[in-house]
Amino acid sequence: MEMPRRALLKVIVLGDSGVGKTSLMNQYVYKKFSQQYKATIGADFVTKEVQIDAKLVTLQIWDTAGQERFQSLGSAFYRGADCCVLVYDVNIQKSFEILNNWHKEFVKQADPVDPEAFPFILFGNKIDVDGGSSRVVSEKTAREWCASRGDIPYFETSAKEGYNVHEAFLCVAKMALAGEHEQEHDIYFPGISETVSEVEQRGGCAC
Amino acid sequence: MLSKQELKSESAESWGHGSLPFVLEDDISKQALLLTELSKKVINMGQLRRIASQGIPDGAGIRSTVWKLLLGYLAPDRSLWSSELAKKRSQYKHFKEELLMNPSEIARRLEKTTVLNNDNGKSESRCVLSRSEITHGEHPLSLGKSSVWNQFFQDSEIIEQIDRDVKRTHPDLHFFSGDSSLAKSNQDALRTILTVFAKLNPGIRYVQGMNEILAPLFYILKNDPDEEMAACAEADTFFCFVELLSGFRDHFCQQLDNSVVGIRSTITRLSQLLKEHDEELWRHLEITTKVNPQFYAFRWITLLLTQEFNFADSLHIWDTLLSDPEGPQGSSLYHSLAKYFDEHLYLYGWKRWHTFGKMAPLWFHLLATSLFNIGLK
Repeated sequence: MEMPRRALLKVIVLGDSGVGKTSLMNQYVYKKFSQQYKATIGADFVTKEVQIDAKLVTLQIWDTAGQERFQSLGSAFYRGADCCVLVYDVNIQKSFEILNNWHKEFVKQADPVDPEAFPFILFGNKIDVDGGSSRVVSEKTAREWCASRGDIPYFETSAKEGYNVHEAFLCVAKMALAGEHEQEHDIYFPGISETVSEVEQRGGCAC
Repeated sequence: MLSKQELKSESAESWGHGSLPFVLEDDISKQALLLTELSKKVINMGQLRRIASQGIPDGAGIRSTVWKLLLGYLAPDRSLWSSELAKKRSQYKHFKEELLMNPSEIARRLEKTTVLNNDNGKSESRCVLSRSEITHGEHPLSLGKSSVWNQFFQDSEIIEQIDRDVKRTHPDLHFFSGDSSLAKSNQDALRTILTVFAKLNPGIRYVQGMNEILAPLFYILKNDPDEEMAACAEADTFFCFVELLSGFRDHFCQQLDNSVVGIRSTITRLSQLLKEHDEELWRHLEITTKVNPQFYAFRWITLLLTQEFNFADSLHIWDTLLSDPEGPQGSSLYHSLAKYFDEHLYLYGWKRWHTFGKMAPLWFHLLATSLFNIGLK
């Protein structure tokens, strides 16, 4: 009997520097939050296995650098993506305004077959800061933007408190799976997720 | 001359925290050689590079001086040191005064000049300028490109970026991070150096990752056992940073990404070097697993390997990188990398490979998978 092929879904996380891309990813994959992440240079990825209905899929989540200077280097990382997560900080206006830019740049560089139908999703992160009192972008504004972009799904998250992170990424996985296209991915090593968990278990004492 | 065997002992020491007596002896002899070289009236740079490239002993307290020499900040002729240092430090002080002044201060000074000029014309002095005499260009709401305020608002975006990254520079080290006054003043120094650099280099300004290149320099210079040197660490680090970056500043420049001096062609050259050096590994990465070299090499090159290893190890790697006569650039970077992988990764890396993995997951996956698949060297 032939073994069912396990789907590998490539997800790209984009957004301004410091909005919490790395933290969201690590909260989702390792259920941990740290104030101590370094700025991401280039790109990194983590993998996580997710069960969606009866299907087991591997999410390969790519974390990217947030400074605009790095945008032009994105194409190598963006190619073959199944879903693009845009992240902004609800407390910083500029990180919201620049979303158009990230959206446009992704479409240009990833060059998906049907840009209109390509699955995007928006996360409004850091809703925990000051109990919400330093917030400058309202949920309504964010949802209006999402509607104007072809009704892309929106999640309000707190990577720090783990709020809504799991739900948001589950939606990512479902969207990626629904639109999964048959194509060769740039990078995939069988057995990579096992290696990841092994490293994680050694975790704290490795140094 | 140190033999190959001795060279490997040095590597074992820096990688394995070994305490074998012959390793210590090797360190002591190296320290003696370096001290002898440093005490000469005119230092033989070739000799200094040769010894330093094998790693500078940690306990000797001479890395700060050696790095300044290797970077060309200190001249080989020791008699020039004090005057040169004094000149550079005053130049840095000047940069700070000129570039870090806030716009209201600039406006205030302009205003003062205007008043003085007026005073020369009329004998009666006035304390308040009438509105019309504030030049249009210098009003905070002016949209004029030359307005000091416009410049200020443009700068503030870069300053915020610098601030964000300085706060997350080596968050695991007390020297750089935490609430202590030491960490705070060190962060201030990093922030000031990067801001002055950004203002003096409008074509590049600040690019994420510069903080990581700056941190080892500042750490070493600030911990110089010579108190006078340590006190001037900020100014000295600034110039060392400029020297270091001058070799590969083009990597940070987006407009040059696709040019022969840009990051992409450097990555391609690294891949070619890997092919020459180790075709089997190259074939595995490039052909079997189709790994784009950009995935692993981008960070290696732009950050000079500072994020791939723990801090103490990266200082040893820098001894080698900075000792290269061509500087940490051109073909020397690739040779240093290749040499490094050859000597450290293949021979010693396996003891600590899970540590590498924790710090650089992608790199770990690449090498672990590749090397396991093609068999250990």
